[in-house]
Amino acid sequence: MNALKMSTRDTASGPVLEVAGDLDYLNAGQFRDLLPTITVRPGQRLVVDLGALDFCDSSGITALIAAHHHAQSGGGQLVLAAVPANTLRILSIVGLDQVLTIHPDSEVATGA
Amino acid sequence: MMARAGQYSDPHDADDDKTAQAAFAALLEDSAEDLYESAPCGYLSTLMDGTIAKINSTLLGWLGLARSDVVGRLRFTDLLTVGGKLYHETHFAPLLRMQGQISGIALEIKQAGGGRMPVLVSSVVKHGTTGEPLLIRTTVFDARDRRAYEEELLRRQQSAEEARRQAEADRARLQDTFAVLQQSLLPDTLPELPGAEAAAHYHTASPDRLGGDFYDVFPLDGKRFGFFLGDVCGKGPQAAALTSLTRYTLRAAALHDPDPVSALTTLNKVLHERYSAGGDPRYCTAVFGTIDPDPDAGRLTVHLASGGHPPAVVLRADGTAAYLPTPGGLLVGVLPAAPFTDASTTLGPGDTLLLYTDGLTEARTGKDRTSLYGDEALLAFAATQAGRPPHAVIEALGGLLTGFGDGLDDDTALLAIGVPSSDDQTSEDRTSSTR
Repeated sequence: MNALKMSTRDTASGPVLEVAGDLDYLNAGQFRDLLPTITVRPGQRLVVDLGALDFCDSSGITALIAAHHHAQSGGGQLVLAAVPANTLRILSIVGLDQVLTIHPDSEVATGA
Repeated sequence: MMARAGQYSDPHDADDDKTAQAAFAALLEDSAEDLYESAPCGYLSTLMDGTIAKINSTLLGWLGLARSDVVGRLRFTDLLTVGGKLYHETHFAPLLRMQGQISGIALEIKQAGGGRMPVLVSSVVKHGTTGEPLLIRTTVFDARDRRAYEEELLRRQQSAEEARRQAEADRARLQDTFAVLQQSLLPDTLPELPGAEAAAHYHTASPDRLGGDFYDVFPLDGKRFGFFLGDVCGKGPQAAALTSLTRYTLRAAALHDPDPVSALTTLNKVLHERYSAGGDPRYCTAVFGTIDPDPDAGRLTVHLASGGHPPAVVLRADGTAAYLPTPGGLLVGVLPAAPFTDASTTLGPGDTLLLYTDGLTEARTGKDRTSLYGDEALLAFAATQAGRPPHAVIEALGGLLTGFGDGLDDDTALLAIGVPSSDDQTSEDRTSSTR
């Protein structure tokens, strides 16, 4: 079990949320609570960088869906960056890899 | 208080000291007689036969009697209630005779107005110079406050008892409700399939938690059957409500249009409409399919579609097992329009289609929660069961689930549909559901 650590920064293309640790049943609420504090403007990308993510369960998937909705409601788009293989496998089973934009790393994702 | 004032007054302040000592002396002048009569407890002296020889005003006041009615006329026991008399005879008097004293006995005295007053009684026998018992001295303390306190305790105890009974009744009623709801989420039995067999298993991770997995097999149009199996997100009552909505939507949608992609599309619309507004996305993964049996040919055709659900496994009579891929099907209820992927297969004698929820493939096989049972292990296990009829496959998988022990912390549903090979014994329980 790892704690969830999150940090946000702003880039030219939009906010970047870095997620480290476990995005699971216990921690996903923190992620969900953080979303409303992140402003996504029309045309911007909300990049969620999962490079340091250790574990993601179905609650974590729900949190990512909430992030997708949050970005869309602001007129922007969610981009997942540096998704670990085990999480990518889950995203692929549930079909979200076809719906969400996934980039290998956050530099590409932010267009930097 | 006065004694303290004298004790602690400044010795150098002679005037104050004198005043305090005078007040203290005034207290000492209080007569012993007055002290006896007006004491904050009742005093009573009786002869050895109990005849009252002396009684103080305090006690007379409690009794509501005049001294002349009592002294030399009544015995101590005459002052007591019937229960008190009895207790006096059986316990109080014998103990007093034996020990020469007794203290703190709870009795009740009768009051002139017909009331009874709880008291605490202590007695001591006074002996003469030659050791013979002369009389009995008794003090009687007002125990009304203490009795009120005890009654309050009793009342509290009784109300706690009542609350406990109520809570137990509530719990029993909740358990009944719970059982009925649980039954509404899973079928009691699976229908008889012509020339085919269906078997299911449901593993509950926690017995007091309504399940988040679901399955069903049901007749569609007199010839075909519908089936589904899935997993809703979340846990607890919210998940159960979602399960219920999902299950009944799929059944109704299938009657309207049994095409698997259509049924899942209807479910997607319903779930998205129901849950998208609150900012709390709720969704499920599901496989929905139709069974078209052809008993004469000894085969059946399965047409299914998946929304975000792990692929079904087909176990063949020849001892092989393979996934029936349905890639790209999206979680149901997440987006207003969702893609679903369909697939078809034909099952002949000895072939079985296996559906499962991810409790199986996500079961932990090591201490690390990333060491999971996995797709490959499932396929390898399925191959060892290939050629066996559905109920045997389900039984073997049930054993596998049991073997995971604590590693299986999620609900798991299993559903197998197949055509038994001709050499399989037909059995009564071929369509039974094991839970």
